[in-house]
Amino acid sequence: MKRGAFWSWLWVGLGIAYFAIPLIATLEFSLKAERGRYSLAAYRTVLSDPQFASTFSFSAGIAILTILFSLLLIVPTVYWVHLRLPQIRPAMEFVAFLPFVLPAIVLVFGLIRIYSRPPFALTNYVWSTNLLLVAAYMGLALPYMYRSVDTGMRAIDVRTLTEAAQSLGAGWPTIVGRVIFPNLRTALLSGTFLTFAIVLGEYTIASFLARPMFGPYLANMVRNKAYEPAALSIISFALTWAMMGGLQWVTHRTPGSTQVTTGPR
Amino acid sequence: MAFLEIDQLHKQFGDLPAVSGFDVDVEQGEFLSLLGPSGCGKTTALRMIAGFERPTSGTIHLNGRDITNQPPNRRHIGMVFQSYALFPNMTVADNVGFGLKLKGMTPADARRRAGELLELIQLPDKGGSYPYQLSGGQQQRVALARALAIEPQVLLLDEPLSALDAKIRVELRAEIRRIQQQLHITTLYVTHDQEEAMSLSDRVVVMNKGFIEQVGPPFEIYNYPRTAFVAHFVGQLNVMPVRVVDAAAGRVALGEQTIILEPPLAANGQAVTLAVRPEELELGAAEGHNNLRGLVESVNFLGSIVRVRVAVDGATLSADLFNERLLTLPKAGEAVTINFPAHAAWVLEEQG
Amino acid sequence: MATETVAVTESTPPARRARAGAGLLTWLGVVPFFLFALAFLVAPASYLFIGSFQTLDGQFTLDNFRNLNQPIVVEAYKNSLQVSFATALGGTIFGFLLAYAVTLGRAGRVRSGLLTFSGVASNFAGVPLAFAFIATLGRIGLITTMLKAVGIDLYQQGFSLYSFAGLSLTYMYFQFPLMILIITPALEGLKREWREAAENLGASSGQYWRYIAFPVLLPSLLGTLILLFANAFGAFATAFALTGGTINLVTILIGSQMRGDVLRDPGLGYALAVGMVAIMAVSITAYTLLQRRSERWLKR
Repeated sequence: MKRGAFWSWLWVGLGIAYFAIPLIATLEFSLKAERGRYSLAAYRTVLSDPQFASTFSFSAGIAILTILFSLLLIVPTVYWVHLRLPQIRPAMEFVAFLPFVLPAIVLVFGLIRIYSRPPFALTNYVWSTNLLLVAAYMGLALPYMYRSVDTGMRAIDVRTLTEAAQSLGAGWPTIVGRVIFPNLRTALLSGTFLTFAIVLGEYTIASFLARPMFGPYLANMVRNKAYEPAALSIISFALTWAMMGGLQWVTHRTPGSTQVTTGPR
Repeated sequence: MAFLEIDQLHKQFGDLPAVSGFDVDVEQGEFLSLLGPSGCGKTTALRMIAGFERPTSGTIHLNGRDITNQPPNRRHIGMVFQSYALFPNMTVADNVGFGLKLKGMTPADARRRAGELLELIQLPDKGGSYPYQLSGGQQQRVALARALAIEPQVLLLDEPLSALDAKIRVELRAEIRRIQQQLHITTLYVTHDQEEAMSLSDRVVVMNKGFIEQVGPPFEIYNYPRTAFVAHFVGQLNVMPVRVVDAAAGRVALGEQTIILEPPLAANGQAVTLAVRPEELELGAAEGHNNLRGLVESVNFLGSIVRVRVAVDGATLSADLFNERLLTLPKAGEAVTINFPAHAAWVLEEQG
Repeated sequence: MATETVAVTESTPPARRARAGAGLLTWLGVVPFFLFALAFLVAPASYLFIGSFQTLDGQFTLDNFRNLNQPIVVEAYKNSLQVSFATALGGTIFGFLLAYAVTLGRAGRVRSGLLTFSGVASNFAGVPLAFAFIATLGRIGLITTMLKAVGIDLYQQGFSLYSFAGLSLTYMYFQFPLMILIITPALEGLKREWREAAENLGASSGQYWRYIAFPVLLPSLLGTLILLFANAFGAFATAFALTGGTINLVTILIGSQMRGDVLRDPGLGYALAVGMVAIMAVSITAYTLLQRRSERWLKR
């Protein structure tokens, strides 16, 4: 073996160990719920816990709402900007870049200070708190969603495509529904997967807005139980993997459409 | 002994021979082109001379010195790449001076020398610019200056103009030739563009499938192609399937029509392929020439030349006429006669 | 050479229809987007910003920033900066070595596997990550108990997962994958011709790295270092879940301030957050600028 090969594989080996050991430890831990033997008892407990089902479905619901509202807000705007107002793209990019500067803890701090008090008092009702939660997540996901949609539109050159469709006699519903939308599927799906991954395990904002999300539930389990949080961590990891796998699956045929993302810290 | 002697160079990639029996001697100050379609082994041959590929067998001698296995950074051979390959983190002047700096030249001397080279490539004001601020053509000039700065014994250019626009390509081509002659530097130039190879070179090496097909001056390559491949690859070519009627008299038949060639020919009755360049054909009949009757298929006006395609028995021939204002162009469908002298046509040897 | 133009043109053609004042309707199309940004990004940040310059009864003051200079706050900033910088540096170095191994090095076979895993790992953070490390290096974690079995008691040696070292080790899990994801394209952007051109001009491998490869990668490396720094600096959930809020970081302190005004001074809480945003803004801007330069160099 050549010297270069030795070092290459040494670093790769260390990297793999670093990646794998915490996962193996967690997995092993999650299987030890019954004394003296490996079992799936922890998973059974977790999966039959009504709180798991309720927080998980609540989180999923919030995630879906976040995705829907984000798409409704971002897709038409970006389309419009590409079509009619390309000169304000820098402003759009600046806005899409703001959430990177505002850590979740600061964002929720500001949101609570403004919207929990009159005249808004959004936190007085469950539905309006949920709305605030969705808005916060739309903010967190904005950079990724915007980038996905913007790259997607740039890749297909929506302006020319629209003009081509118009010259063939297509009306607006046809243009949007049959020309633009199908061509943006990859971009929209990748934005969707990313947003889902971000919202599902989010802890900071959920916990300060005191909504029954999956993140705070998991944190609560960590504090009070031993084996169940291990099982939940493994489940979260599997979900993250599924989202990222889905993302890769939709983008791998479109070079340049991958973007580097980070989960909620 | 030639300045650059390349003997029986062979390169194998796995089971695939990329270059076989590459054997060329290059004289001091000569401009030699390696011409061929992509995948013909021309770039691999050049990279072996540069030292980026190690030959499977064969030797390379430069100025009497065996450099076959010398690492590239010790060869004193300059190279210009298709993609310019300027260092993006350095200014133009630093790019040009890079080789000199490595040689241990003082910064002041290196800067002065870089300045001279920028004069040579006619970009004297661009020393402080970064590569991304230059156009493709300018970048390639700088790459040329950088390769020349170290005063290499041989200059290698690997498709240096392929990434440029047509107009710039022609300009820069002339520039390369001017500089090469001014410095009298031995140059090897890889290209797939025959016009480039023809216009620049003292000699052209035509390659195909790893083998050298023919080596010679452009005039010879074009007018006396030794193989069917060279004849087809270089320039336009009309081919006619004919049958030898009378070998001794040089008489062959194209369908119903007769063509007289310069003997000797193959045995009577044999089918051979006849070749003639489009510019050798003229419209109309001419005494003592081969006159062929046919129908005009199309007329293409190309500017300085007009290409008339004529269908004769069993072949379509292109005739290139020089444009002039008084020219009357034939029309498609018209019956015409075309002629060419006996010595203009030759029998193509079987392709192989 | 009049035909050669160097202009860096935008990919979008200039607006044909969007003449100045091309109708209010045209601009109306982007109002919802900017309204959203205003309400849910700009307003919260501005609220904190304005609050940080006000006294309780709304007078202008700089006291809040002056008051940052108290032990608990200074320590929080110090800890946050330390953890962020240490994990950014560690992540940059380790991530670079790994990315190098699978691109220019000899472990190219695992390149796509590593990238996939990095994509997942850089998104795997917060509570589940914290728990994974508790299960590994906590008091009854797998590694801790295994080492104990061979006679090494980590916790007696002074190690604690709930300390600076443990937190850094945990953060590294999302730090170096991010580095891998960002630096791999940069390494792949190093053109083979640059190395060949350098060799051709007489450079050794070391000189190539010193004069070309390293300077070309430097903006990317520095930019990513800064990004990793910001990435760790803004982290809350992971640290909170791991230590239960016992470690003093800026984010944790902001969290405590929100829950119960531990600083007994709302203005101070705002100043704390504004300081944090300022550091993030500087970092992210520097990252963007460096990344832009790197892209310009590595393109084509």
